Amino acid sequence: MTLPETIPLLGFGWDDLLFLTFAAIMVGSALLVVVMKDIIRCGLAMIVCFAALAGLYVFAGATVVAAAQVLVYIGAISVLVLFAIMLTQTKAGPSSLVFQTQAFPAAIAAAVLALLMAVVVASTDWGATGRRIATNANELAQTLFRDYTLAFEVVSVLLLAAVIGGVFLAKREKGSAD
Amino acid sequence: MLSGFDGISQSLDAYLVLACLLFAIGAFGFLARRNAISMLMSIELMLNAVNLAIIAFGAFTLKLTVDASVIALIVMAAAAAEATVGLAIVIAIFRNKKTPLVDEYDAMRQ
Repeated sequence: MTLPETIPLLGFGWDDLLFLTFAAIMVGSALLVVVMKDIIRCGLAMIVCFAALAGLYVFAGATVVAAAQVLVYIGAISVLVLFAIMLTQTKAGPSSLVFQTQAFPAAIAAAVLALLMAVVVASTDWGATGRRIATNANELAQTLFRDYTLAFEVVSVLLLAAVIGGVFLAKREKGSAD
Repeated sequence: MLSGFDGISQSLDAYLVLACLLFAIGAFGFLARRNAISMLMSIELMLNAVNLAIIAFGAFTLKLTVDASVIALIVMAAAAAEATVGLAIVIAIFRNKKTPLVDEYDAMRQ
């Protein structure tokens, strides 16, 4: 059996439905990350947000970046954040007060920012092609290791420095009580 | 009914508006949350929004397709470095001040 060209009742294509689903999951879980009280749940919502973003990357034809997103963000950074949350959560801390006093002006500022950027996006002619272009992994590797070799090496040194710096900052001082 | 959404996954504007929304949500979280780790998570959201915009431009511009993926990968590596150092700093401060709330970090104000 074959699916009909467009979705029967809604009047748009199946890939559009998938795109909208991913977009809704991404925006919804991002909102949960910034408004939920329990910070460990914020961390888990962040993982959902990253997963939906990986889906959007696949949709945009960047499959290698989507794989890297799953490995780096879901596999490494989220776990790091969850560990840090568990290390710094104290029962005594006032967990009911999650927002600063400037939360309301911040919400207005963020809404204005989003509106402004959306207006700019909508009113600019980007000269885009009418349809998505998929990235060829072979071409990507050639470009990364030929044209961008310097950037690649610099970023590996940066990562090494960050790892050493992170260990140095987080290690216990000699002679401290805890 | 709802046919305005037809072909939305083939338009650059839809991806860019999504990226704007995600960036604004991250900016709100960074300004409004009290917990230092929440603020770091908001920064991650903003970095991801930028990455989404880069990928979207790559997907709809013939000359940039491969370069956009390379740039997004490098941004990801830089974000990983940032997260490592940021969380290490938060843990180091937490060890001294015993609180993750940023409004109680006032040692440099006195």
